[in-house]
Amino acid sequence: MITLVALPLALLSMQQGTGIAQRLTGRVPPQIASLVEELGTAASARGLPIDPLIEKAIEGSAKGVAPERVASALRLVAMQLDTAAVALRDGGLVSDTLAIAAGEFAITAGLSGSDITALARTGANPAALTVGLRVAGTLAALGVPPAEDIGLVSVALRSGEPVSALLSLPANVQSAIAKGATPAQAAAGLARAAAAQAAHGPPPGRGGGHPPHPPHP
Amino acid sequence: MSGHELHPLVKQLLDGDITLADLPAELRAEGEWALRLLAGVDRTDVSMPAVTWRVMAQLERRRRRFLPWLLAPALAIAAALVIWLVPRTPAPASLVTVRFVLVAPDAKQVSLAGTFNQWDPQATPLVRAGATGVWTATLMLPAGQHQYAFVVDGARWVPDPGAPAIDDGFGRRNSVLTL
Amino acid sequence: MRPESQAADGEIVRAVLAGDRERYAQLVDRYRDRYARYATRMLGSVDAAEDAVQDAFVRAYDQLAQCKEPDKFVGWFFLILRNRCFAERRRNRSSASLEAANDVAAVDRADGGAETAEQRRALQRALLELTADQREVFVLKHVEGLSYGEIADRLGTSIPSLKMRMHRAYDKLREQLRDHT
Repeated sequence: MITLVALPLALLSMQQGTGIAQRLTGRVPPQIASLVEELGTAASARGLPIDPLIEKAIEGSAKGVAPERVASALRLVAMQLDTAAVALRDGGLVSDTLAIAAGEFAITAGLSGSDITALARTGANPAALTVGLRVAGTLAALGVPPAEDIGLVSVALRSGEPVSALLSLPANVQSAIAKGATPAQAAAGLARAAAAQAAHGPPPGRGGGHPPHPPHP
Repeated sequence: MSGHELHPLVKQLLDGDITLADLPAELRAEGEWALRLLAGVDRTDVSMPAVTWRVMAQLERRRRRFLPWLLAPALAIAAALVIWLVPRTPAPASLVTVRFVLVAPDAKQVSLAGTFNQWDPQATPLVRAGATGVWTATLMLPAGQHQYAFVVDGARWVPDPGAPAIDDGFGRRNSVLTL
Repeated sequence: MRPESQAADGEIVRAVLAGDRERYAQLVDRYRDRYARYATRMLGSVDAAEDAVQDAFVRAYDQLAQCKEPDKFVGWFFLILRNRCFAERRRNRSSASLEAANDVAAVDRADGGAETAEQRRALQRALLELTADQREVFVLKHVEGLSYGEIADRLGTSIPSLKMRMHRAYDKLREQLRDHT
């Protein structure tokens, strides 16, 4: 039994090892490549995703950043991955690498572990929660304060809205900001509307539905 | 002829065939009213940058394609156990058409670098639309989380002014695209 | 991404028909703003105009094989947009004048202030009371700045019949706006 389990684990880390090296070849200096291997192998043994580490290493090298600075950035990513994983576990979600990566992004954008736990506690399924975390991070990047941010995304997750509705939240907030609302007001307004809709059904339309605005101009 | 119809000469004035000075004195007031009417015409330019994206996205939605989900190679027996141990992998992704725009009249070249092209500043040049200094590129990207920045003249990394931005960990900002 | 050149319309149309669908975006970029103002004045609302322009480009894509002169894409596209604007008017007779009051003249507060804005709103409301044909000739001449000859070419009508339409429009505007000085 032990041998059977050990075999695939060894295969897995071998795969991860070759995977990491392959993706970094020619794109990062050797000392960064070995740091990524080291951090990546440890991370994946803990069930954490390694893509964020690989991408950050490639990004730093492409931007001509000094290796020491890339190294600190990588260690920060590794730490944030851990924080996200712990936060998700506290919220009831175990070992979902996409959700953890999304949580790491949310932390980079300024949210905290407890914000992530709050979203996980909405009980959304892993796929929806992953999108929710990405959207929450994007909203934070737009300047929405954590309380209003988590408030809005929680309402959307709890009401079981389709992923496309979640993904349109940042564009809707941007629209409201363009019309003069603060990010906090924009998010709070949308949360109220979403909560009302969840309670009473959609409002009567003026006719002629508008296609969703792109997340990017 | 009812009292509300304009005199034919005033209509010629509106058409631009004659001037106010050409009107007889008794039509002067009507002529001035007519010219004030024309002055009230709204000639403001209207710009619709979102239309390009929306048109291409609508055309794309009618033509959805899916990325094949590539399974890592593995021995047959080990494969079954590996799949049990490997955490959830992404479902087949759908592609979204995204248009990137940067206004940079003084730039000689602009490109796009991000998570979707390994941050390679050479991979995705933008095209300049004539003299206006508007640079654009259209990409088809998989649904998911992307970060990017524009690279101006090969050296200056500039986040997208119209997009949400986060710290890149190197003292600069990356733009965020969540599809 | 392969670099794009400043290609002529005809070249792009032929490329799209040959399967290079992505290049259609070049045509959209090139012309989406050219008729944006026309559509906005015809429909009385930027939102409705955006929808109309978007629809027209999608329709043009669908019918691209029927564009007899690919080098004259823009003129052919204009007719598609025009039909779409005319169809919109038939659909939304009652609600358009409400929208006009809010949407138009929201810009340019710096240019002349509240009085000018009110004038513009009043004129746009009055324009929406004209028939689509009358409004169109007014918009093409007095907003887009075309001559009667140019309008006649574009619409395939005669100058005398355009003038008749326009003069009828002037009378109706006079009727609507006689209390505005």
